[in-house]
Amino acid sequence: MGQSLQVRETPGRRISLSLSAENVSFRYAPGSPLVVDQVSLRLTDGALTGILGPNGSGKTTLLRLLSGTRRPTAGRVLLDDRVLDRMSRREVAQHIAVVPQETELAFEYSAIEIVLMGRHPHLGLFTVEGPADIEIAQQAMASTGTAPVADRLFHQLSGGEKQRVVIAAALAQSPRLLLLDEPTASLDLGYQLEVSTLLKGLNRDRGVTMAVSTHDLNLAAAICRELILMRDGRVIATGATNDVLTPDNVRRLYDVEADVHVHAETGHLTVVPMRRVPR
Amino acid sequence: MNIRRRLLLVVGAFTIFTGAVMVWAPTVGSTDISLARTFDRSIPWESNVDAQIFFVARLPRVLAGAMVGAALAAAGVVLQALLRNPLATPFTLGVSAGGSLGAMLAVTMNLEFGLLGVTSIPLASFAGSLIATAIVYALAASQRRGLSTSVLLLAGVTLNSFFSALILFVQYLADFTEALRAIRWMMGGLDVAGYAPIVAALPFLLLALAAFAVLPRTLNLLSAGTEAAAAKGINVVSAQRLAFFSASLATGAAVSLGGPIGFIGIIVPHLVRLLIGADHRIVLPASTLFGASFLVLCDLAARTLMAPLEIPVGVVTALIGGPFFLWLLVKRS
Amino acid sequence: MIATKITKKTKVTKVFGSNTKAFRSMFFVCFVVTFVFFVVVSAQPTPRRIISLVPALTEMLFAIGAGPQVVAVSTYDVEPPAVRSLPTVGALLDPDTEKIISLRPDLVLTYGSQTDLQAQLTAAKIPFFDYRHGGLDHIMVTMRALGARTGHVDQAEKAAQSLQSAIDAVRHRVAGRPKPRTLLVFGREPGSLRNIYASGGRGFLHDMLVAAGGADVLDDINQESAQISTEVVLARAPDVILEFNSSNRLNDADLKKVVDPWLKLSSVPAVKNKRVIVLLGSGLTVPGPRVAEGIEKMARALHP
Repeated sequence: MGQSLQVRETPGRRISLSLSAENVSFRYAPGSPLVVDQVSLRLTDGALTGILGPNGSGKTTLLRLLSGTRRPTAGRVLLDDRVLDRMSRREVAQHIAVVPQETELAFEYSAIEIVLMGRHPHLGLFTVEGPADIEIAQQAMASTGTAPVADRLFHQLSGGEKQRVVIAAALAQSPRLLLLDEPTASLDLGYQLEVSTLLKGLNRDRGVTMAVSTHDLNLAAAICRELILMRDGRVIATGATNDVLTPDNVRRLYDVEADVHVHAETGHLTVVPMRRVPR
Repeated sequence: MNIRRRLLLVVGAFTIFTGAVMVWAPTVGSTDISLARTFDRSIPWESNVDAQIFFVARLPRVLAGAMVGAALAAAGVVLQALLRNPLATPFTLGVSAGGSLGAMLAVTMNLEFGLLGVTSIPLASFAGSLIATAIVYALAASQRRGLSTSVLLLAGVTLNSFFSALILFVQYLADFTEALRAIRWMMGGLDVAGYAPIVAALPFLLLALAAFAVLPRTLNLLSAGTEAAAAKGINVVSAQRLAFFSASLATGAAVSLGGPIGFIGIIVPHLVRLLIGADHRIVLPASTLFGASFLVLCDLAARTLMAPLEIPVGVVTALIGGPFFLWLLVKRS
Repeated sequence: MIATKITKKTKVTKVFGSNTKAFRSMFFVCFVVTFVFFVVVSAQPTPRRIISLVPALTEMLFAIGAGPQVVAVSTYDVEPPAVRSLPTVGALLDPDTEKIISLRPDLVLTYGSQTDLQAQLTAAKIPFFDYRHGGLDHIMVTMRALGARTGHVDQAEKAAQSLQSAIDAVRHRVAGRPKPRTLLVFGREPGSLRNIYASGGRGFLHDMLVAAGGADVLDDINQESAQISTEVVLARAPDVILEFNSSNRLNDADLKKVVDPWLKLSSVPAVKNKRVIVLLGSGLTVPGPRVAEGIEKMARALHP
């Protein structure tokens, strides 16, 4: 039978998580340029960290290294002091879940079927999902507000609903860590707000540790407490959002002169680009 | 929702349907036979025409049809999931073209060797399928990063065209009789009139089915893409390898037994998905069962519609397939 | 009557005046010359360079004395032995048009279905002879037609008549005997009973069977070639199965291999009574001058 989320559901009895990357580098083929260049970082329990950088800065690849779907060509990734590469895919998936930027399905599954697929790492080869697994899936859908669309076909859902279903599927894995790759990039403004609110709520109320990779400065500022700034595969700054998101760093990241100030109503930093500057 | 119950109900229903078809099919045909006489042990074998029609002409045919139909339908499901394309068929990756080329060469070179009761054409066909499978895999796996399905598809389609051209060339070089025999083989036929070819193909089919038994949930996860599947705990490369090789084995065995019978590998999965959704844990066993009964029924039509003449069974499946796709197209728009 | 004649003469005299006789002779000569000229021009000259793409027609040509006029044959021609040294130009599916034209033939014997080749020959102003297989009688008809076409009318007539008598002799010999129900098989997958091709109720193979004193079990099928299943063989239960094999000789082991697959159908009288007979020779399926030998072989098998 599948494992239940019981340990996590009871506040205060958390298994503390740490995911760290030690000097990881990655290139796709021998001789090709480094996509990730000697990156070290550490994610601690309950963190809500953003990996921020322009397109091509290696964010997605870094996320893949952190989730174990790619092996670093140098350095290593540790999950609770265990080398990620030595763990089976199945075991890693019991701890770490990934929400990709877009999900395209080859066949017409319903939303609940998608969410139930998240139980896979906890099921045996011929095991069928039991009542406990279904309960977890339903809870995941409830916490992402997708319970009403459970029986509808995935491809018929709106952009925001789709993304929230995919997040529910990730939550159904009962992960301790959620990695999100540009979770709002393909969404309209309203859905962006929906998903941002959801992520913050999951982190705050259910203690889900998260790392969000994005190139959207304002999203990062709105959601994340810490930021890791990346450019050309390297980390150029890391720390608390308020400390790290400075006009200087924005210029270093995007070659853009921007105004950064605290928004009166939301209390988040807001970044307004003004002009391009040469490198 | 109770997944287990749904699975049992649906698979149970298909099992009953297929069982009924297989029990009924040998009792009907172009000749009227008496079941009483067929099973009357007191009549000596050489005098019992009804029994011979049942046990020599019809029963092996029904069994072969069930095996080939099951194999092609299941292989179709697996390949559609592997290539993430509902239009993929067991013949997309060139396995059947390799089988047909092997058979062509056996016909035109007049090879006459036999092995354990199996004649040269099925043997050569199976060898051809294995070679085609190996070539496609070697091409697709030549990239460092494991198995790329886009390269797999490209390699398969290219090999398909190349082998098809070779088949035409070999046919052209053949004399008239050989060309006729070759063309007839390629239209598909299940009149095995004996149990040896069935027994010979059985181990390969069972092997493939055993692999299919462990694939369904993996196939579900692969539908969302290889990255997503890996993130949910699938070892993508070994899953793809297993899917590819088992589907190719099933296809190769089916083609060597009955020739390249088309449309089963795409009509059956489509119909099944229309009826019960996309969950491969139900679609795969249901398609296997339905494929068996579907081909048995097509063969029944092939041996009765224009009796005493045979319609090649591949022609029957094609005649059904064409309008089926037209209907699908209309339904979608 | 005489009155009309005198009137005619008077008319002629009136038209031509005093030189009537001269003009009449001239008119007559012109008429004769024109007539002869017309006949000569419309009649085709005897072909001196014949190319044959149809083995049956090649054999006919040699049988009617037109052998020396043949300059090239098809790839499948082996009889009579004289053709084996002649150049070949392809066959039904792959005629080598360039080679054919380069040999400057004045007559090409083609199959009716070779429409592309015929179009090209017409464009090159090369006459061709259009042929399609038919029943047994069609063989004699074709021999006569070829005789006319190649300038061997008498010889063709003699050859056709002698072939007809040979066939009739066999027919006569087996006339009173009961006709065994026969399945005439000319193709199947070697080593198995798959894709059986047998003669239906039409065509020269069927006619040969009837002439040899057999009854075709597939008489009701109005086709020259019928692809049937093992169920049909069991149901029709023929007394004799005649199977054509193109080898000229088969040793005992190979013969057994050919007959073996039929043994599965042990309820068929032909199998029970060991009357599954393999007829050897490539000439059996050639509707040409050797057809009488083929019929003789079949008759001997059916009526030992």
